[in-house]
Amino acid sequence: MGPVRSLRLPPQVGQPGTTAAMMADVMIALLPALGMAVFLFGIRVLALTAISIAACVLSETLYCRLSRQPLAIGDLSACVTGMLLAMSLPASAPYWSPVLGGAFAILVVKQFYGGMGRNFMNPALGGRMLLATFPMLMTTWPQPLRRLPLWGADAVSAATPMSYLHEGQLPPQSLFQLLLGQQGGCIGEVSSLMLLMGGLYLMLRRVISPRIPLAYLGTAAVLALLFPHGDAGAWMWVSAQLLSGGVLMGAFFLATDPVTSPVTPWGQVLFGIGCGGLTMLLRYHSSYPEGVGWAILTMNCCVWLLDRVGMPRRFGTGRFATFQSWLAQARAYLAPVRFVRPELHVFRNGKMPGEEHLDQLRAAGKNLAYLGAVILVTGAVISGVSYLTGPEAIRAEEERQQERLLQVMPSAAFRSETPYRASGALSITAGYSSDSVLMGYCVEVQAQGFGGVITLEVGVDLNGQVTGVAVVNHNETANVGVHAMTETALSRYIGRSGTLRTSGDNAVDAVSGATATSRAITAGVNRALAIVANLDTEGVVDYVDGDV
Amino acid sequence: MKHSFFGGVYPAGHKENTRRKPIARLEQPPGQVVIPLLMSHTGDAVSLVRQGERVCVGQPLSRGVEEGASVHASVSGVVEAVEERAHPWGRRLLSVVIRNDGKNTPWPQWPAPLDLEKVTAEQLIERTGIVGMGGGAYPTALKLRQAAGKIDTLIVNAAECEPYVTADHRLLLERSGHVLQGAQVIARCLGASRAVVVTEGDKLNAVEAVERRMRRRNAKVELCTAGTRYPLGAEKQIVQTVTGREVFGSKLPLDVGCLVLNVATVFAVQEALARGRALTHRVVTVAGGAVARPRNLWVPVGTPLRCLLESAGGLREQAELILLGGPMMGTPVSDLEAPVIKSTNALICLNSWELRRPRPESICIRCGKCVSACPMHLAPSFIHRALQREEWDKLPALHPEDCMECGCCSYICPARIPLLEQVRQARQSVERGGAQ
Repeated sequence: MGPVRSLRLPPQVGQPGTTAAMMADVMIALLPALGMAVFLFGIRVLALTAISIAACVLSETLYCRLSRQPLAIGDLSACVTGMLLAMSLPASAPYWSPVLGGAFAILVVKQFYGGMGRNFMNPALGGRMLLATFPMLMTTWPQPLRRLPLWGADAVSAATPMSYLHEGQLPPQSLFQLLLGQQGGCIGEVSSLMLLMGGLYLMLRRVISPRIPLAYLGTAAVLALLFPHGDAGAWMWVSAQLLSGGVLMGAFFLATDPVTSPVTPWGQVLFGIGCGGLTMLLRYHSSYPEGVGWAILTMNCCVWLLDRVGMPRRFGTGRFATFQSWLAQARAYLAPVRFVRPELHVFRNGKMPGEEHLDQLRAAGKNLAYLGAVILVTGAVISGVSYLTGPEAIRAEEERQQERLLQVMPSAAFRSETPYRASGALSITAGYSSDSVLMGYCVEVQAQGFGGVITLEVGVDLNGQVTGVAVVNHNETANVGVHAMTETALSRYIGRSGTLRTSGDNAVDAVSGATATSRAITAGVNRALAIVANLDTEGVVDYVDGDV
Repeated sequence: MKHSFFGGVYPAGHKENTRRKPIARLEQPPGQVVIPLLMSHTGDAVSLVRQGERVCVGQPLSRGVEEGASVHASVSGVVEAVEERAHPWGRRLLSVVIRNDGKNTPWPQWPAPLDLEKVTAEQLIERTGIVGMGGGAYPTALKLRQAAGKIDTLIVNAAECEPYVTADHRLLLERSGHVLQGAQVIARCLGASRAVVVTEGDKLNAVEAVERRMRRRNAKVELCTAGTRYPLGAEKQIVQTVTGREVFGSKLPLDVGCLVLNVATVFAVQEALARGRALTHRVVTVAGGAVARPRNLWVPVGTPLRCLLESAGGLREQAELILLGGPMMGTPVSDLEAPVIKSTNALICLNSWELRRPRPESICIRCGKCVSACPMHLAPSFIHRALQREEWDKLPALHPEDCMECGCCSYICPARIPLLEQVRQARQSVERGGAQ
């Protein structure tokens, strides 16, 4: 295709735009939003954008050089990818993130699929979604008008309007603030007004057709109108949905990427509708507050289908005739699909199997044996792991609990959680006998011992008498304090009630050599007795969690 | 209900240089005219004159064979030769060369003018040795004979959507009465209930002139002014714009009850009926950035293109490409000695700025602009892909045979892929039935 030959082919005039000019127009359209972001988030935004563009261009150059392809950075598509990627990051993103995202976008998403015009997924979005898998990277949004320095940006996370919308509330910002961009969010997404201006510029320059943005925003608006939340009316909800988050950026700049959107006009309309529907579905029902990226990526995968569905009707054939021919074609496609009953021949044609057939059977059996072996090994590994970890640990814990229950309240067979809370008690459980009669309460308390905190579990029956004491955890000296925890030492508390003293009436003598520990245990038992005595089992039970 | 056609492109009009220039005669009548005997695509004609014979303006030079159109002398003078000369369609074809004596003596045997109120369909058909003057060059008599009694709408095509060309615009503006009268007569003779003149929005002074004339005459002709969009002047698109009917691939507008005639053709028919004159002159726009004084000229058929350029002040700079017809569908001229024929509406000399820059084609980025620009509902980008991957079996389902070569796809493509050429290639492959 020499230039001279194409010169002679009609038409002799052409529209002046080229692919590079289209891409340059997209970058021009992004500039207002970028400028606003620099105003809101500081100079760091520019640095991020520059790094992102440089990473994309460098990756493209590197790939072209290594694969000995002609250099294709002249069409500016790598620059657009870099710019879009940077603009879908938060301003506080670390500097390595656009490098990683850009390299992924250009190399994996674009070049490995054949380069410009052949990738099926939007490269910038692909890079962004890779970065979204890093924790904290895409969930901390700097506050607007708190300009970040170039280095050492401390990310103070601001609640984005999206998090309010996700909760079903209107964001605190006014519509005017949302339009200007005083909201937390990605670099490019915050200023809706600038994005609208950019989109309008692209449509006026006929770089993009209005089909995708209008279908996208229209579907999103209709869905928001049908299912409004908040208390300021449906239209406020619709405008808040459209002006916050990435929906404008997605509709004007990401979904309209020529390579990854349908070619046919009706396909483009359906694409926009699908994007809008998926975005609202994800915003309403997913755990992540924003759904634009996933919606567009999902619809990118449907482009092949949408192109076929949206193929223009042949000139001169009516709509009904077109529909009929479409049906006929579908029927023709389905006609050869037939259910064939699987036939198993052990004896082919009623003859005894020959040596050859046996060989085949043997080969098939070998394959099946491999499959079976793999399944067996996998199953064994899975069940072994689960046997060793999950149930075993739980069973051990249960046994320990049971043992302690036996020590604390021998008459009880099992225990259950109670809704009661009391200060000083770690937990209060109720012990039941084997025929489900309430025997008493087990109280877990703490007391200050010689070497630290001793955690005790004390069983108290319904008469207010101690049924048993068990030490759950302690830090006492191995040879000294432990003397106060022997079974005999602890069994001295059984049957006591009221307030125990260290000497005199109703006293438990301290074990010699372990006085501090003994006193601590006595104090713990006292506390447990007091808790059970004051337990308000009659009143209204309050189930609210928290410290009471 | 207002109809319109799908797609289309908006090329820069460049009509401002010639739209206000009245139709002028040639500054110097040509010393010699070359009248090719082949004027229409459908058939040849046999010469009636011999070398040395004197001819007058309007004298028949050929006897039309069954399907062809007869030609007439456009100047008076002596036949110098009957020989093969350069033809604007590129070959050398048999032509009558007449030396002009400058007197413009009319042919004494001109048929008497007819009363336009009483013209019958037969008279209408036999009087007109006319071919379609918009570029199709189909014999009008043949068209009228086929259409008689079968149509309900006559469409007078004054859309002239090609850039630079203003010949039809000036004709409609300056001869609106004749055009309206002609349209009315043709519609009445053919039994059409509706006659519509279609123009574009960039010809508002002509629209105004026609409206004023219609008010005064109380003419039963409608005027339809459509938005300026490129292939409006194409037959199928103009039928769709006026009536909403779509003409299927290989069919003619006749099959949906419409007849489309160019405004110059209607004017020529009216001249033939009311004044008994044959088609010997026509309006040609000489324009383009390389032309010194662009203008609309009233030119005898057979005038060499060189004379037209001289009348327009010659070239003021290097013309990269000289075209017959507009830049979208026109054909490049290789020889300026080639004559003006009946279907020549413009001579466009483009300089290097106006021409499409010769950039190498790049990769298709699937922007879909060709699909939304194709007025024939084709998907050139899919055809391009199928050709690239040599998937010949997929081509028939894409119907490349519907293409009418308007060039919208090549015009709009930002990757500069010669899509029109590829669709043409695909059509040839489909016509040959599959592979290659």
